[in-house]
This record gives sequence, structure tokens and C-alpha cells, in this order.
Amino acid sequence: MSALEIKNLSKRFAGVSALDHLSLSVKGGRLTAIIGPNGSGKTTLINVLTGLLPYESGSIIIGQGESQNKLQAVQIAQQGLTRTFQEVRLFNQMTVLDNILVVLTKRPVQSALFETLKRETQLKAETILKKVELWEKRSELAFNLSYGQRKLLEIARVLAMSSSLVLLDEPFAGLFPQMVKKVSDIIKDMRAAGTTLILIEHNMNLIRELADWVVVLDNGQILAQGPAADVLRRPEVIEAYLGD
Amino acid sequence: MFYLIHIAIFCAIYGILAISLNLVLGYTGLLSVTQAAFYGLGAYATAILSTRFNLGFGESLLIGIAIVSVVSFLVGLVLSKLAGDYYAVATLGFNVIIVAVMLNWSALTNGPLGIAIFSKTTLFGLDFSSQPAFLALALFLLFLAYGIGYYLKKSSFGRVLKAIREDEKAIQVFGYNTTKYKLVIFVIGAALAAAAGSLFAAYISYVDPSSFATNESIFILSVIILGGLANLEGSILGAIFLVLLPELLRFVGFPEAVAAELRQAVYGLLLVILMLYRPQGLLGEYKL
Amino acid sequence: MFSQIIINSLISGAIYALLALGFNLIYNSTKFFNLSHGTVGVAGGYVVYGLAQLWGWNFYLSLLIGLLSAGALGWFLNYFVFSALRRQKASNMTMLVASLGLFTILQALITIIFSSQFQILNQSLPQIYSLANASITQIQIIIILVTLLVAGALLLLLKKTLFGKMVRALSDDEGVAKIVGLNTEKIIGWVFFIGSAIAGLAFIFQGLDSGLEPSLGLGLLLKGVIAAIIGGVGNVYGSFVGAFLLAFVENFGIWKIAAEWKDAIAFALLVIFLLFRPQGLMKR
Repeated sequence: MSALEIKNLSKRFAGVSALDHLSLSVKGGRLTAIIGPNGSGKTTLINVLTGLLPYESGSIIIGQGESQNKLQAVQIAQQGLTRTFQEVRLFNQMTVLDNILVVLTKRPVQSALFETLKRETQLKAETILKKVELWEKRSELAFNLSYGQRKLLEIARVLAMSSSLVLLDEPFAGLFPQMVKKVSDIIKDMRAAGTTLILIEHNMNLIRELADWVVVLDNGQILAQGPAADVLRRPEVIEAYLGD
Repeated sequence: MFYLIHIAIFCAIYGILAISLNLVLGYTGLLSVTQAAFYGLGAYATAILSTRFNLGFGESLLIGIAIVSVVSFLVGLVLSKLAGDYYAVATLGFNVIIVAVMLNWSALTNGPLGIAIFSKTTLFGLDFSSQPAFLALALFLLFLAYGIGYYLKKSSFGRVLKAIREDEKAIQVFGYNTTKYKLVIFVIGAALAAAAGSLFAAYISYVDPSSFATNESIFILSVIILGGLANLEGSILGAIFLVLLPELLRFVGFPEAVAAELRQAVYGLLLVILMLYRPQGLLGEYKL
Repeated sequence: MFSQIIINSLISGAIYALLALGFNLIYNSTKFFNLSHGTVGVAGGYVVYGLAQLWGWNFYLSLLIGLLSAGALGWFLNYFVFSALRRQKASNMTMLVASLGLFTILQALITIIFSSQFQILNQSLPQIYSLANASITQIQIIIILVTLLVAGALLLLLKKTLFGKMVRALSDDEGVAKIVGLNTEKIIGWVFFIGSAIAGLAFIFQGLDSGLEPSLGLGLLLKGVIAAIIGGVGNVYGSFVGAFLLAFVENFGIWKIAAEWKDAIAFALLVIFLLFRPQGLMKR
């Protein structure tokens, strides 16, 4: 069954088609990697899906939800979709612990005003931070962390959301090999737990290792899709990357 | 002795004003330069209600807060579409409009002549018109304001406010309706400023538009920037510092008119120096 | 009556346009709202007042010195404050707050020196002409014509000269401009000089037409900012469109309501634009 259904999605930037009548069906419970040369529309797609960018036409359906026509970012999160950011958007002048607590607490204003922090919430934050090995740094301000730690904190934030559909935008970029292994283990755990994952990534080895399904974008359209080993061998895919 | 109490009362009033703006700017990151407008509305509410309708301090305080809450809610709605520079300019504009209304709606406000209050300040039947008693009242309200600020900053609500300040879009992506949060804190800030206004009116027994112009909003801004953004103790410290400063200037011996302008120049200079060399202020945890 | 409204709109519109022009020029190069821009211009106006009225110097000489003073003051503020902040990678809000601080200092100093009383720059009686059932003074005609000249000169400067190209490159992308070897700080210095001198001109006109007082530094600037926002922040042509639209709505509004509500009308217009068309009328 489909965790995410994209039909005929179009998005233009000043006359250029970033997404060109794109249709894609993402099956639940597995990891779909989206790859493509620079400018193929990967990050635009993710920004449109998470409500950061408006789109001109098409429809997006998350899970059992209604057709998503110009939904706000807020509503999309409520439909069970969450993400990391390629450029790492943490709450810099807040502590590591607060960065996690802030997504664990209730959303409506009235509830947030009168909520008392339950023991279980604190425990959940502790568990997640320990999993990414940032519990010792919990009182540290986010901007004081190293780059690798910041990437991990972004992933921890996504873990805290316990969403059924998670988009990861180049989570491995700029990481040392030990960090890459850590992040890849966490992603494997998420997948084992049944989370539907969409991964944007350039590293072909990681994709072969992690992805159940690969979608190749080129010029805002889908060039090819299928199991990793199959897709990465196709001549038109190799051409798209080399010809860039 | 009375002089010291007089200073202390002003420290308390500006402490409340500073806390009110710090909640909006320091914690939530909204560059609002219009706190003086809400301060003025609260002051005028007390002035008008006590002179025309013979209401006591307590009632005028509460009605003033109610009126300002409604006004700030509407203003907040308009402002919710804006950010950064535009937001600041719009708030300045609102301040200008409010002062224009104070100056021109003479039937209600007496225009530039202002309103003199003759009734004594009573609350729950107790007479607070003597200076020490009024100081107690002012400190009590300051204590309440601090308490509200403290509660908010420790709450989940406060945590979301800080996230809004850091990256509003990002916290939206995680499911928070930031517009509502911003609106609520803006109204709370305005209500606190209105309370300070009622205190001011009751103490000075006279209100006029010139006390509530954009200069005053900029002054309140410099108080919290000096004391430190997102730090409640800093707000009070900043208020004490900037209330005492002109008093020190007075001892140097300038003529009153010049002293008033020099005071302004010093506040301005302080803002510039802080932005250049210590944007987080004395106790602040955060820079603009 | 209507033609008088038009004429009044042209005059205040011209002054708003000059302010919007300088504001936009500086905004394009530095990307922050400089709220000290007005008081710098007021200072220039008061220099003219001081030299021509108080000391009896030749009017045109005083005018020139006034313009140069305003420009120089703007240049200094940039040199000592804004460029230092830029080096620290200060945020826009920090720069805006610093500009508020500078505005406060300047306004206070001007008030100390010249008092807060209203001062008129020109003592002789205005020469009044009659035009289409309305009256217009000689000064007012000069204001409108000179404003158009200045705008034209500025456009020529921006479009045809090498300096203009450098300013436009800087406005488009400061990072790239630096890489390409442009001395961005020097260019910004000149931009501040020119923009501030134009602000000085605006306040000199204001002083000639109706008079100066220190608080106009923020009051009139905000009108210029509203004009800039209505026209589209950063858009030079937009400065004019916004300025005349604002002036017209104001003058029409006070004809219907009362003169005291002029500022409220201006800001109501701002709110309407911010709500429904924040990008302004002209496309960037």
C-alpha cells in the first residue's frame, strides 16, 4: 500500500520547470532513495512535500489523508510526515535537550501553555539522545556542536517525532566514516521498525546498501525507477550523471 | 528618602515594561517597537476611567488590560504576516497611529493637554496613595510580571517560542502553528505593558501623549538589550540601570531641557555600543 | 479643489520620493532598513538653517554645504557603525536596532543645538502662481522639478556609469561582487554618501516649503519607507510610484476626514499593502 502518492506535480521557478508533471508512488515500510544530478529537482521535491514551497499543479496524498492541495507545513507534519534538512536547521541558541523536547510536547497553544513535562517524555528524550550518543551534551547549545553531531541531532529530532513517513535530505553529507556508519545503523533501525523512509543521497554505495527502491530524477521528471542494483546499471542513468 | 522611593517605583514600572517586551522580542524574536503604545493605552484607560467614570484603580487596571488585549490581538493579526524589518516598521507605524489618536481624539483624551487624575489609588479598600504603599503595590505587580514571565519561559509554550525565534519555518515543519503562538505572546506582552501604564498613571496622576511616543518604545528596547535578551533578571537590571542613569546625569548639572535630550543621546549611544560590542547585553543568553 | 489636492500631492510626493530613493539605494546595497537615514537628512537641513538663517551666509553656498554635510554624515555613520557591524556578520535586526540608536543620538543632538521649535529655511514671502484653479508657490515648482532632475540623474548614474554598474552588481549579489574584485566597502561608502545627500535635499525642501523640526527625522522617513514598501522595496521606479500614491491618498484622505489624521491614513495604507501586496506595486 502506498504511504505517499504524488500525481502530476509541477513546480516552476522563474520560468524553469523544477518539477515537471511528476508522478510517484512510495510504498510503505521500505526505504526509497531519490537520486539524480544536481538541479534535477530532488530538494525542490522534498521542500514541496513538506510544505516549504508552494506548487502550481498536481496532488499529493500522504497515507490515508486527503489530497494535499496547498497544505501548510504545519498540517503536513500533523499528517505524519517529518524531515531532516540538508543545510541542518537546528534551534541553535537552544540546548541539545531542548531541541528534542520541543518536538515531544503538545502542539496546540492552550495545551503547551499548561503542560507539565511528564516523566515519560523526559525518558523518551533521554533514550533518543543516548541512541545518537548526545546525552552527555544535552546542556550544550546546539550551535556549539561539531558538524557531525549537528547532523546526528537532526536525526534525533526526527526520531523523536515518531512519524510514519520520514524524509532524509542528504543525511550523510560531510560526515566521517564512523559517523556514516552510525547514521546508517539508525536508518536501518528505523526501517526495521516499519517507518517509510525517503532518502536523498549521492553516495551510490550507501544507496545500494540501504535502499529497497531507487527513483532517478532528471530535469524535474522521473528518468527511471526500480531496485537499486537494477537502476544503477542502466545506461540512461549513467548518462544523466556523467553528462551533467 | 522619598526621592529613593520615587526612583524605585520607576524601576518597578520599567521592570514590568522590560519583561513585557522581553517576552516578545527576547524569547520569541519579534522586533516589536511599539510597547509604549500599549503602555500609553493602559495609562489612558486608568486616567479616563477614574476621571470620567469614577472607577477605582483595580477596575481601571483590569479594564485597561482587557481593552489592550483586544487591540493587541487585532494588531498582532496584522503583524503575523510580517517578519524582520517589515515587522519593526509596521510596529513603529502602529505606535505613531496610537499617539496620533491620543493627540487628536480630544473629546476622549483631551488631546495634547492630557488628563489629570485626582482620585486616590485604592485597591480592595486599601489606600495606596502614600509613596511607600504605592511602592509596595508596584513591586507586587512587578513580582507578578516576573512570575508570569518565569512560568512562561519554563513551560513547553516558552520552549516553542524560542524555537520560533531560532527558525520559525523549521518549527512549523514539526507541526506547530507559529502564528497562534506569536499572537498569544504578543497579547500577553501588551497586557503587561498596559498594567505598567495603569501604574504610571496612578502614580504620576497625569497622562499626556508625549510620554508614549516612539522614543519611549526605543527606550524600552534599549533597556532589554542592555539587560540582556531572553533574561528576566536582566530586564529588571536593565531597568534599574537606565532609570538611575539620568539621575546621575542630573547631578552633573545640565539645565533640565538639555539634560532630557542628553539622556536620549546616551540611550541611543548605549544601543549602538551594545550592538557593536555586546549584543547579548549584560545577562543575556541570546543575540539578535 | 481637486487640482489643489493633485498639486499638494505632487509636492509632498516629491519629498517622499527623494526619501524613498535614498532609502532604497542604501537598502539595495546593504539589505537592511536604515532608520537613521532620515535624521541624517534633517541634519543637513539644519546645517542650511544654521548657515543661511543664523549666520547669514549665502543661501546657495549653505545649500551646497548642507547637502555635503548630510552625505558626509551618512558616510561616517556607515564607516564607524554599519560597516563594523557587517564585518561581524551582524543580523539585519542588529543593524536596524543600531540605526535606531543612531537616530536617537542625532535627534537629541539636533534638539540640543537647535531646540525642538519649528524652523523655516526661507524668510522671504513665497511667490505664488495660479495653476488650474489651484495655487502653487515658486519653491514648490522648484521642488518638483529638481526632484525629477535628481531622479533622472540617479537613474543615469546607475544605468550608464561604471560606478552604477558596480552598485548594481553589489545589489544583486554581494558575495559575487567581492569575488569579482569589487571593493564593496568603498562602494557602499559612496552609496551612503549619495543616498544621505539626497535625504538632505529632501529635508532642505521640506524646510523651505513648510519647515523643519527634529522629530521629522523619523516621522518623514517613515513616510518615505511606506512609499518604498508600496512601490516595492529596492525598486527605484517604485519609489516614485509609491511616493505619489501615498501623497495622493493622504491629501485626498484629509480632504474627506480631518488634517490631524494624515499620519494614521498613511499607516493604514501601509497596513493594507503589507497585508495584501507586501512585495509592492512594481516587480523587482
